[in-house]
Amino acid sequence: METVSIGDQLPELSRVVTREDVRGYADASGDHNPLHRDDAFARSVGFPGIIAHGMFTMGHMAAAVVAWAGRPDAVLAVSAQFRAPVFMEETIVAGGRVRSIDDGTATAVLETWVRVERGGRTEWPVKKGEARVRLA
Amino acid sequence: MNPAAEGTTYPAVAFIVDPSRVAAFRALFGIDEGVPPTFVTAAEFAAFPQVVADRHLDLDFSRVVHGSQGYDFRRPLREGEALVVRARIESIRMRGGNGFVMIAMDLEDADGVVVCTARSQMIERAAEA
Repeated sequence: METVSIGDQLPELSRVVTREDVRGYADASGDHNPLHRDDAFARSVGFPGIIAHGMFTMGHMAAAVVAWAGRPDAVLAVSAQFRAPVFMEETIVAGGRVRSIDDGTATAVLETWVRVERGGRTEWPVKKGEARVRLA
Repeated sequence: MNPAAEGTTYPAVAFIVDPSRVAAFRALFGIDEGVPPTFVTAAEFAAFPQVVADRHLDLDFSRVVHGSQGYDFRRPLREGEALVVRARIESIRMRGGNGFVMIAMDLEDADGVVVCTARSQMIERAAEA
């Protein structure tokens, strides 16, 4: 990896979330909560339709970290706080920046997030994400 | 939810890091090699049924939202390896009618080494008045 500095930004990673994505995620993860597959159920609990799994959004965030780190093995820890739902056909954008570097262990801590533009506002499906990554 | 259930531990559940499931995760998230970090959620879902069925904990899953999630790795997961998942109720806090439970799961390899600890905060929203 090139020299890493505090404040470095991760390249943003965008994707449109589709029903196929959410169905595929349910099958791969084993999370078959009806909130993510049954529009009538989702409406009954106050959403306009099904929402993506929080873990789908976090998986996308982790993909942005993996892309920056070069490989999944370099990710030593990753965490996320879920703050807003993601609806179908919305575009989620994952990003992050380097918060600290530990030269002794050759690791960096990143602050990470996932945002979505909705009705002229920025919402934060993940506002306070974090990852610890091995450098080099 | 019953705050007295804090500290509950659950029996170990077997989990295989199935290469075809790992490949499905890679394809979903555009990752070319290795085990995507959030693949661990598949292991958590092997152990969640015990937590959901625990009448002493009495978590009403129909009112639950996922508050936060974290993974700490001692080493990466290896495709094809056999792990066991040990779940425990790390903490329970009640606030404003909502219940906040931290469910921790250790993924242990065949040598008894914890390769990853997963923490899921679930929020049981207050029942409608």
